[in-house]
Amino acid sequence: MPLDPGFWALQALNALQLSMLLFLLSIGLTVIFGLMHFVNLAHGSLYALGAYVAAALATVGGYWTGFFLAPVAVAGMGILLYSGLIRRMRKSGPMAQVLVTFGLIFALLDLTRIIWGDIALAIEVPSLLAGRVSLFGIDYPVYRLFIIALGFAIFAALALVLKRTQIGAMIRAGVDNDAMAACLGINVERLFFIVFCVGCALAGLAGAVAAPLLSVTPDMGLQILIPTLIVIVIGGLGSLQGAIAGSLIFGFVQTFGAVLAPQLASVLIYALLAAVLVIRPMGLFPAKG
Amino acid sequence: MFQHTALRYTALILLAVGAFTQAVTAGYFGLEILTEILLLAMLVLALDMVAGFGGMVSLCHGALMGVGAYAYAILTTKAGIAPPVALGGAIAITGAAAWVIGAIGARSHGIYFIMATLAFGQMAYSYVFEAPFFGGDDGMGGIPRIDLSLLGIDLNDSRSFALFCLVLLGATYGAAVLILRSGLGRSLTGVMHNEQRMRALGLTVWRVKADVFGLSGMIAGFAGALSAQHVMYISPGLLGWTVSGEALVVVILGGLGTLVGPMIGAAAFVILKHEVSNVTSYWHLVVGVLLIAVVMSRANGIFGWIEARWGARLERRLSDLTRKTDAEEITTDA
Repeated sequence: MPLDPGFWALQALNALQLSMLLFLLSIGLTVIFGLMHFVNLAHGSLYALGAYVAAALATVGGYWTGFFLAPVAVAGMGILLYSGLIRRMRKSGPMAQVLVTFGLIFALLDLTRIIWGDIALAIEVPSLLAGRVSLFGIDYPVYRLFIIALGFAIFAALALVLKRTQIGAMIRAGVDNDAMAACLGINVERLFFIVFCVGCALAGLAGAVAAPLLSVTPDMGLQILIPTLIVIVIGGLGSLQGAIAGSLIFGFVQTFGAVLAPQLASVLIYALLAAVLVIRPMGLFPAKG
Repeated sequence: MFQHTALRYTALILLAVGAFTQAVTAGYFGLEILTEILLLAMLVLALDMVAGFGGMVSLCHGALMGVGAYAYAILTTKAGIAPPVALGGAIAITGAAAWVIGAIGARSHGIYFIMATLAFGQMAYSYVFEAPFFGGDDGMGGIPRIDLSLLGIDLNDSRSFALFCLVLLGATYGAAVLILRSGLGRSLTGVMHNEQRMRALGLTVWRVKADVFGLSGMIAGFAGALSAQHVMYISPGLLGWTVSGEALVVVILGGLGTLVGPMIGAAAFVILKHEVSNVTSYWHLVVGVLLIAVVMSRANGIFGWIEARWGARLERRLSDLTRKTDAEEITTDA
């Protein structure tokens, strides 16, 4: 067991980086659920779509074109899904919604395969963020630090919007009691549409920043889906604090579990999820009291 | 409570006759597909028991099936236990695991129950995937089939094995119907409709849920032990959550809460999978669009749609027939 502090700093940074990636994905999913009780299992597929769009645009116009346009493209896809499917599913039960979005996973998986093929795509880290930087006595890739900073920036921005602006107050009201919010003159449906688009854009952004780290494959959406769901259930559906807390718990348990107890690492996080569900069935920070 | 209607009997007879004809006449490839359908049908029966009659939508039934398969494989190849005993052991182990999951998950509902079962299923998957004792991601081979040579049956022949599975599926269906009609099954349906009222009536709700989930797990484990014998090789992929997801898709495509429907769904799903795979490698797209269409149509799957459309008419015609014969009897008696 290596004991030098640099090693642990490295692991902590890796854990933070994984947490921030998961945070970008889970925040959209959890607020969509909190606001409208809509379970969108296809969220992971939107993340894969974002990665593909970013990879495709990066070959044409460089990394930053992909970085800025992938969220826009995925939000566009979100608008299509919303007007085609999701608006019609709003009145059906959670079971039907789970199944429709499950079907959507299958369909989107094969659509990406048809468009981009089965071969994994890879994109380069942009030159601005290439290289390593010395930190706490270790060399750490700048790009991973960029992901951590981006995650915290998005968290801060969302916290600000939710706490200090009028639309944030409307969203909080909608999550707390959507019927009452509607009675008070808030257009909850339009609010939901906006939140849904922002959630999709964030999923696309997560895909774009993950693309240079992981290879872009059709099943990357499926692989990230389970961790994202674990994050939002541990954290508590519908809340910003829940999403960030769940992401940090997942990132650190996963990373340090792999170092300290490699045999149990993969089981650990599921055991934690089961424990949370038994002790606090609504998660650690539920949006509703 | 589960009831047989004329339409359900008709569908059952058609299914049984179809499967039997296929088992007698088909070649090697046809028999493999038939066995695949029969084992999937057994799994979805187990899932429909809890999801359709108890509202417990489980995403761990694939994992339970995998537990049954691994338990059978370990008991026969590593512990050297005779296959029939090992089969019983595998069923018991899976049933016990499912009972525990059901007991722990009994408090959660809706999406939380789905997540809880998903967590337990993935826990089993990751453990098996990592543990060298279970062969890790290489899986395990050399699993023996049950020896029925005393009865003059050689199960290593695919035709006999398909017929063997058909008989066992029939028995399992009977068992599922008996369970659902028993006091336990009726209590479960009561719990699904109104949990508070059942609790007020003095029922221990979590015990009912856990018991039925355990029984359903036994069926899933049975299907798993049989599928280990069918392929004679197992890998951790059996326990993955996508297997459970597919089983759920089959139940929904067939018709939730009808028992007969999911079996039709299993046949349709496996046949569609092979037919579409012959034409294109994008068969997930076809399944995805089909699933969306079925759910959006608001019909209860294929069989639910048939029941809604023709079930009532068939019942009326049958009751007309019986009334007519009754009337004739009365006149002749007079």
